[in-house]
Amino acid sequence: MIPFELVEPRSLAEAIALLDPEDTAVRPMSGGTAIMLMMKAGVLRPTRLVSLARLELDGIEQGPEGELRIGALTRLADIERSALVRRGWPVIARALRTLSNVRVRNVARLGGHLAHGDPHTDLPPLLSALGARVAVAGARGERVLSVEALYAGYLETTLKKDELITAVEIPALAGRAAYLKCTTRSADDWPALGVAVAFDYGGEAIGSPRLFISAATDRPTRLAAAEKVLAGRPLNEETLREAGAAAAGEAEIESDLHGSAAYKKQLIRVYVKRAIHEALRESR
Amino acid sequence: MRKAIRFRLNGEAVEAQVAPHENVVEMLRDSFGLHGARESCGQGLCGCCTVLVNGRAVSGCLQLASLLEGAELATIEGGEGFDAVQQAFVESQAFQCGFCTPGFVLMTRKLLEENPDPADDEIRHYLSGNLCRCAAYPEIIEAVKLAAKKRRAA
Amino acid sequence: MKRSASPAETSQIGRSVERLESWLKVGGKAEYVHNLRLPGMLYAKIFRASVAHGRIREIDTSAAQAVAGVYRVFSGKDIAKLIPEPFFGPAFHDQPILAMDKVRYVGEPVAVVLASDPHVAEEAAHQIVARYEELPAVYDEVEAMSSKAIVHDTLKPAGTFPDLKHLKGKKDTNVALDFRLRRGDAERAMSAAARTFEHRFRTQQVMHTPLEPLVTVAESTEDTLTIHTASQSPSFVRIEIARLLGWPENRVRVRVPYLGGGFGAKLYIKLEALAAALSLLTRRPVKVALTMEEQFFHITKHASTFRIKTGVDEEGRILARQCEVWWNGGAYADIGPRVTQKSGFTAPGPYDIDNVFIDSYALYTNLPPAGALRGFGIPQLVWAYESHTDMIARALGQDPVAFRRRNLLREGRPQATGTPLRDAATGKVLDRLEELMEWKKPFDRGNGVVRRGRGIAIGFKACISNTTSLAEVRINADGGVTVYCSTADMGQGSDTAMAQIAGEVLALPAEDVRVVHSDTEVTPFDMATLGSRSLFHMGNAVRLAAQDALQKMGKLREELGLPADAAVKDVFKKKFGMQAGSVVGTGSFIPSYTPPDANGLTENATPFWMIGGSGVELEVDTETGRVRVTRLVNVADVGTPINPKIVETQLSGAAIMQLGFTLFEKMLFDEQGQLRNPSLAEYKIPGMLDLPGEIVNETVSAEQRSGPFGAKGVGETGTFGVSPAVANALEDAVGVRLTSLPLTAEAVFGGLAK
Repeated sequence: MIPFELVEPRSLAEAIALLDPEDTAVRPMSGGTAIMLMMKAGVLRPTRLVSLARLELDGIEQGPEGELRIGALTRLADIERSALVRRGWPVIARALRTLSNVRVRNVARLGGHLAHGDPHTDLPPLLSALGARVAVAGARGERVLSVEALYAGYLETTLKKDELITAVEIPALAGRAAYLKCTTRSADDWPALGVAVAFDYGGEAIGSPRLFISAATDRPTRLAAAEKVLAGRPLNEETLREAGAAAAGEAEIESDLHGSAAYKKQLIRVYVKRAIHEALRESR
Repeated sequence: MRKAIRFRLNGEAVEAQVAPHENVVEMLRDSFGLHGARESCGQGLCGCCTVLVNGRAVSGCLQLASLLEGAELATIEGGEGFDAVQQAFVESQAFQCGFCTPGFVLMTRKLLEENPDPADDEIRHYLSGNLCRCAAYPEIIEAVKLAAKKRRAA
Repeated sequence: MKRSASPAETSQIGRSVERLESWLKVGGKAEYVHNLRLPGMLYAKIFRASVAHGRIREIDTSAAQAVAGVYRVFSGKDIAKLIPEPFFGPAFHDQPILAMDKVRYVGEPVAVVLASDPHVAEEAAHQIVARYEELPAVYDEVEAMSSKAIVHDTLKPAGTFPDLKHLKGKKDTNVALDFRLRRGDAERAMSAAARTFEHRFRTQQVMHTPLEPLVTVAESTEDTLTIHTASQSPSFVRIEIARLLGWPENRVRVRVPYLGGGFGAKLYIKLEALAAALSLLTRRPVKVALTMEEQFFHITKHASTFRIKTGVDEEGRILARQCEVWWNGGAYADIGPRVTQKSGFTAPGPYDIDNVFIDSYALYTNLPPAGALRGFGIPQLVWAYESHTDMIARALGQDPVAFRRRNLLREGRPQATGTPLRDAATGKVLDRLEELMEWKKPFDRGNGVVRRGRGIAIGFKACISNTTSLAEVRINADGGVTVYCSTADMGQGSDTAMAQIAGEVLALPAEDVRVVHSDTEVTPFDMATLGSRSLFHMGNAVRLAAQDALQKMGKLREELGLPADAAVKDVFKKKFGMQAGSVVGTGSFIPSYTPPDANGLTENATPFWMIGGSGVELEVDTETGRVRVTRLVNVADVGTPINPKIVETQLSGAAIMQLGFTLFEKMLFDEQGQLRNPSLAEYKIPGMLDLPGEIVNETVSAEQRSGPFGAKGVGETGTFGVSPAVANALEDAVGVRLTSLPLTAEAVFGGLAK
């Protein structure tokens, strides 16, 4: 690692002013885990790091429509422990339990976790399935976009270099949802596959399915064909098998250290089914 | 390039001169001669570098030292004598080479603060981010339970 | 610290004494080389080869040298000015301190940057540029037998081992040892057999990953050198450094504090020659400390291929076994040739077989060097012969336990070398394993997505021979006792065991005995801490030294006219007029040994045998192939346990480590020989969530009569049976037989899909 300028702005405006729309060597940093790893590996050689740690952008609250609002600088561990989250969005608290490890969750902030763009992380697919949105602030003002629209490729987002996520909003969870991941080496490995699913189910037909996979793809990827299979169908083994097959068919998968493309397609077949079962088993 | 930072180390007000790219483990080693937090995997996966910042367990090898300004930093070297967790680790012989042990002790303290009577599954999950190549894991689980019992009795 | 109050009234043997250094370790105060910083110390950062095999055309260090804060940059030529023949190694003098004319694997050290700030050294190392003329490379151990790619132009055996002498000066070969054993007539017996079975097994290259990566600090004057190193073999380091420098050994001092794990990674000589050379070239203390990533480029465990063929008679008695084993030693021999021979001769397994044929080859390839890893080659062999043995039992329709029992090698019967089995409780281990597994009870294999299975395996190991250990035991004027020995405590608890042994002889509690760590200036010669040899060899030396000290005390009492029960303090007061002086007892131990003849045969191959068996119950997720071990039972003959708790944790730790090698650990190389996963993010080792549901560890009642108080080594025994027991249980569960490690979910699923 080489020396760099480390600045700690006290306000959002100051932070945005310190960023540079062109210079990739100027980077914002929240918890810093990913930034430190990239610097240690020599793939990031920043001239300036803009630490966001002193911005007051943390907090977890429920909005007027019953939605969950989480400040971008809220620590993942605080979300995991939040009574509000556990009560209204238990699927998020469950996903956090196996997200990296306790020490990472103690420092990692929700905004940084989402903005990093690593397809192996757990919340991007889950929040995409839950229809979450992020509020973004930049030199040219503020905008809101869906988590789903945040990702452009491996470690690539649609955020501009001088834009910061300020908050995340997750709609009230009325239906069923689950997130499952599968590791192929040790249990604490990066996943070979993550599957997030959300849908309505009153005992007859599946409504409004949203299905995302991650880790096996270069970004969280929505599986439209599988959603189409699920929509309006009774929830039985045949539906699930067809949905799994559709999901495996439409996803573009490449072989990597976690397994061959063919094997990961099998995992998709199995885990789409299991995620839907899991969503049914858990009350919400 | 170095700047002075002031913080509390194991309860004492201290000052250190740190470079912007220096991590907490390097600072503890170079400025304070403390070696209980040690870099092993360098990626926050093994827990050998565990320290507590403002009461939270973090990987010291992934924390920039200069961000510690005003913080409360605690390491395995803090405190007087040995606590129930350390006693339990010795009684259960929950280590072999000892390189990962300070990290496990600090993590166990935090676990028991949050959850005074953890079940096996809770222990395994909480400590899943700490690696022990000697694989003293069964003894560590035993030590955590013994420490919990000692703390409840105290 | 806890101190015992009274002299030992009970035996120190069989006491689960807490490790003597326990409080240092839980307090973060134990000394590791990792901690050491010396005034004026420079940090070294290694620049590594980017091609698997190539002639060095140019190394441009100018940009690195120009980086602000860089002290010096060195390459192989600079080292050669100090050490004209800068090649080291225990079996072959083949490994350059920094690459000389060629590089032989991706990651090989080529140049080194020194700076007071390690960040500066690292940054500057990135600025070095090297050009190579690429040469054909070979990666597979079987291909290496006939490949046109030759890793070493000329073989350079070290001269210490008689069975390597014939390889001196040999060209156009990658074979670094061709060990053979012939007993009976395997070919004829095979043709007379009712049935024959032949299979081929593979193991993968893995790494020790001690959590304290390799680290050495060297400091020097004009004519002395002190090396602080995380080493399992300080005596060997001193000999080898003195040889390289042409110095007398007494000018080289090697100190070893606690090791943050070893497992064979820190054996013989690793970073010491580089650190020593750099310190002598700069006259500054130099620290060479690897990161976890770099560690993958210094020492690994042999990948291997094993072709095994067995002939049985009508009843299922094994008549003959043929074994061909190819060991992938990587670019430098390290101790591979000894693995090839010392383990090679047990390749047919712990079975009573009259006709045996073994060929065992150490091969050079263009991969990171391989050495000893917790078992010295034995886990690779047991993997193959116990998978094979199970497959035969199944094919014959015989119960796997019964088939093994019928063929088991028992006390007094000759092993493949002809050496009779002595103090080796093979039968007891198998019997106890069967009981603990409740083998005769019905077993529920499940019928849904999750299927269950169980399997067992048993292995054995000879102890590397012949090797020497020396020890000294000092009785101080106040009655305190100090043990001086060069055994490295890397977590196995050797300090505690030695204190127990000395305490037993001197009637003192182990807690009151002080064990001085390896320092070649102070502690006497020891071959190395390896191969589970220390408790037996050093334990015997410490026992003898303590007995010698006791005898000398007795003599002193006699001379002074004091009664036999006179307190130590009073003896010295009378002798010197004050509380002063000491008595030093010495002990040396080298067991008898007969080298093998041209056919690999000997009446005395080993001072003792280690026996270890494992039983596994597991679940297989048939939709994904994922295996979950629900129960792991380890049974061992360790002789008489000196410290039962430490014995138990050694068995358990070894078995869990082996479980990682069994299920997922693997170094993955691309087609250019580039390692794709050199980090703990991508090379996964077992964590808390990978533990079996239940682990049972037991020792059988046994005695090693030649061992100290009946004991023998235990550090490796827990590894023996784990891998084949899992594979055997896997076939039991779902009918899939895998012959290559690791047994990944994908491989299992692939088998299920067939």
